[in-house]
Amino acid sequence: MAQQKIKKSSLALRSWKKLVRNKLAMLGVIVSTLMIFASIFANFITPYDPSKIDFTNMAKPPSWEHLMGTDKMGRDVFSQVLYGGRVSIYVSVVGAVLGSIIGMILGGLAGWFGGKIDLILVRTSEVFLTFPNMMLVLILVAFVGQGINNLIFIFFITGWMTPFRMVRNEFLSLREETYVEVCKAFGISNLSIIFRHILPNTTSPIMVATTINIANYILQEAALSFLGLGVPVTVPTWGNIMNAAKSIEVIRNYWWLWLFPGLVISVFVLAANFAGDGLRDVLDPRQ
Amino acid sequence: MGRGEIILDVRNLRTHFRVGSDDLSILRGVSFTARQGETLAIVGESGCGKSVTVHSVMRLLPKNGRLTGGQILFHDNGRTFELHKLEPFGKEMRSIRGRKIGMIFQDPMASLNPVYKVGDQVAENLLQHFKLTKHEAQRRIVEMFASLGIPEPERRILDYPHQFSGGMKQRVMIAIAMICNPDLLIADEPTTALDVTIQAQIMELMGKLKKEQNKAVILITHNMGLVAETADEVAVMYMGRIVERGLVERIFHNPSHPYTRALLRSVPVLDHGKTERLETIRGATPSPAECVTGCEFANRCDFMTPKCRSGIISAYEIENGHLVRCVLFEGAKELPNE
Amino acid sequence: MLYYFIRKLLAIIPMLLLISLIVFVAIQFSPIDPINYLASPDMTANSPNLQALRQLLGLNDPIYIRYIRWLGNVLHGDFGYSIVDGSSISKLIAMKLPATFEISLAALIISTIFGIGIGILSAIKQNTIIDYLGRIIGVIGISIPQFFFGIILIQFFSIKLGWLPVGGRIELGYRTWWDHVPNMILPSLALGVSMTAALLRYARNSMLDVMTKDYIKTARSKGIPEWKVYIKHAFRNALGPTLVILAFRLPILIGGSVMIEAVFSWPGIGAIILQGVSSSDYPVIMMTTMMIATAMLIASFLVDLIMALLDPRIRFDR
Repeated sequence: MAQQKIKKSSLALRSWKKLVRNKLAMLGVIVSTLMIFASIFANFITPYDPSKIDFTNMAKPPSWEHLMGTDKMGRDVFSQVLYGGRVSIYVSVVGAVLGSIIGMILGGLAGWFGGKIDLILVRTSEVFLTFPNMMLVLILVAFVGQGINNLIFIFFITGWMTPFRMVRNEFLSLREETYVEVCKAFGISNLSIIFRHILPNTTSPIMVATTINIANYILQEAALSFLGLGVPVTVPTWGNIMNAAKSIEVIRNYWWLWLFPGLVISVFVLAANFAGDGLRDVLDPRQ
Repeated sequence: MGRGEIILDVRNLRTHFRVGSDDLSILRGVSFTARQGETLAIVGESGCGKSVTVHSVMRLLPKNGRLTGGQILFHDNGRTFELHKLEPFGKEMRSIRGRKIGMIFQDPMASLNPVYKVGDQVAENLLQHFKLTKHEAQRRIVEMFASLGIPEPERRILDYPHQFSGGMKQRVMIAIAMICNPDLLIADEPTTALDVTIQAQIMELMGKLKKEQNKAVILITHNMGLVAETADEVAVMYMGRIVERGLVERIFHNPSHPYTRALLRSVPVLDHGKTERLETIRGATPSPAECVTGCEFANRCDFMTPKCRSGIISAYEIENGHLVRCVLFEGAKELPNE
Repeated sequence: MLYYFIRKLLAIIPMLLLISLIVFVAIQFSPIDPINYLASPDMTANSPNLQALRQLLGLNDPIYIRYIRWLGNVLHGDFGYSIVDGSSISKLIAMKLPATFEISLAALIISTIFGIGIGILSAIKQNTIIDYLGRIIGVIGISIPQFFFGIILIQFFSIKLGWLPVGGRIELGYRTWWDHVPNMILPSLALGVSMTAALLRYARNSMLDVMTKDYIKTARSKGIPEWKVYIKHAFRNALGPTLVILAFRLPILIGGSVMIEAVFSWPGIGAIILQGVSSSDYPVIMMTTMMIATAMLIASFLVDLIMALLDPRIRFDR
């Protein structure tokens, strides 16, 4: 037992070392972590209230006082981006984590019981996976309505499939493995087998899937809010800031209103994708 | 060319693999020869480098592997090709691969392309090296299938791999390897993935090719029983080196390297006395990343002396053509260091 | 083989019924008076007695009869009416479909050529500069918000360079189809590039996956040229999974892209959907959903067909 523990930790250590060596992945982890912290501590970084209207400073281009300029109502874009990150990241992370948890639970049910339950869940996941994702989200918005929690709900409804399939497949392949048989023979309870032996095997691919889902949800929140269907416009989010750029006049005359938030979203998503890809490469024995 | 003539001469072959940021030495100076009408068996535990050896000879190393030293000389009708100098996928190497040297792989299930008819897969090799009409090619493939014991060859060449059993697939693989009538056949664990009865059939088939067509065969295996039955010469590999080499009866009657002895004690051979116990080799196969000075086997060896750990271990010729790389035989004729 | 296709084709029917049932139930449960989408506005306005109209439309019948009647209408091309502006949904869709079709088709072609091309090249040249470029294009392509990319294109090509129109499909003085080709370029490009990235990553991965297979080694052991190994053995086997992704993208031809159509004020199905969602026009949403779902089913049938054609194991086993 003790020996196994050493082996396990050395594997984790090796993976960690590999991750550190993968420069792009490390860059992704560092950049996204920095951006998350910048959002959390937004009030220490910027003196401006993101929703404070200032008619003396309307639509000012970037300057030392306003790093990313101000919008048409004199609000500081930089602090909007910082505070906006709080909501955007919160929604995406919570949505992705909840989605993974639901996926793991359903995957466990499908893998353990098999039969009809398995068939129904697998078919459902296939439908969800193949249906154009943006359409699915839009339909749900139409029925569920807008708002932060509604968005989280929509995200975990549309993001459980990948973890589901991973856990299910792991269950199916491990159910027949000798050591699970041995565990059963020793009278170790089913629950214990699931939690101590099967689920740990799936943690790393699920971490990858969750990271990649976070990246996708950031994009979706931005898209929905840009369309005016995401979080109510009064809440600053990355998408809501971009909403201004729906007018050609803004695109033409006020480049800082869309370029900075657009870049921030792209950089964060890129960082998350680098981290996810890197993690996958590290865990993939083929590389 | 007659029986016993050297066709492949490998001298001091070294191969390195890049794994992550490490550069691992996988072959550390391997020398052997393959002769016409004879079977050379390369044996050893998995991971000892036997597969890498033949892949190096075929110049089919994966992208992260490369030759770093030594010579691979291939003799063909008085011409000598220096395979180690050729571009792995260049024209000259390709004109030897498949044409002069055929190769069979371990897992026949995975070695055939699932989307093409087996006849076409055999034909691909034939048409690459010979200018033939489709009809003529087909005739030869049917003949080859028949000679390899594939029933209803005319019909079977139109089937897909998944319609064949494992043993039949391996026969198709042999057909691919032999269709151009190469002088050397390399078989990388050809029977490991097959049932025991099928194993015997495949080995018999290869033995027939060797005898009747005077082919040179290199057989990679970890199955000592198979070695005893089919090989003429044996090379025992451990950690990227050949530790003992000699004629098969000498190796079985006078196994000299402690590793060879341990290996023979650990496998059931038919003429083993019933009272003798099978033994395991103490310790685990070390990882190639571990750097050892002296003998790689020293840590697991029952006869370890301080000398084993110091400097370079030489090979000694203990009887005619029987080489052992071990300090225990210091009295014997020392061979020029590899 | 034929039997296999017929069976797959027949399997679509219950799925279609299921989808229609879901759509029907969803509309039933939405908080709207069914009379508003079953009858055109002038009919309701001109009818002296709404109760009589309800009777006439069969709204008082049991639900399964209403479902069958509704299904009959849908099969006859009568998709009902928008509850917001009372226009006929079938007409609305028929009007916007060409616009969506043209940019989606262009985007599909762009993304297929570049996605598969760069993906395969990237895999063959793994860990070379070409591969790094391909991978960077791939990861950036999936990381930039579509609308942001669209805005950058507008800013650069339309505003700065003035080469192309900023949006819309038909300009004043429109005479022939060719006149709006300039309008098509940017939306097709924006949609195409974002679709390229995902396909590129997928094609690269499946190609790399195939390249580790033993039969690639067998092919090399025959001494055939490398390009033949790549095309005949590797690509042929990587093609299947890649085509699956492509087939599942076909619904975009009739569903369009909400995002791209919004950025470029492109008057397509995406615009209808967006309007439907923002004004809670449930009949419009559900009918467009049904169309896309149907397209999806056809796509999945195509996938079965493609896989069977490409893979003898499937072709012969059933």
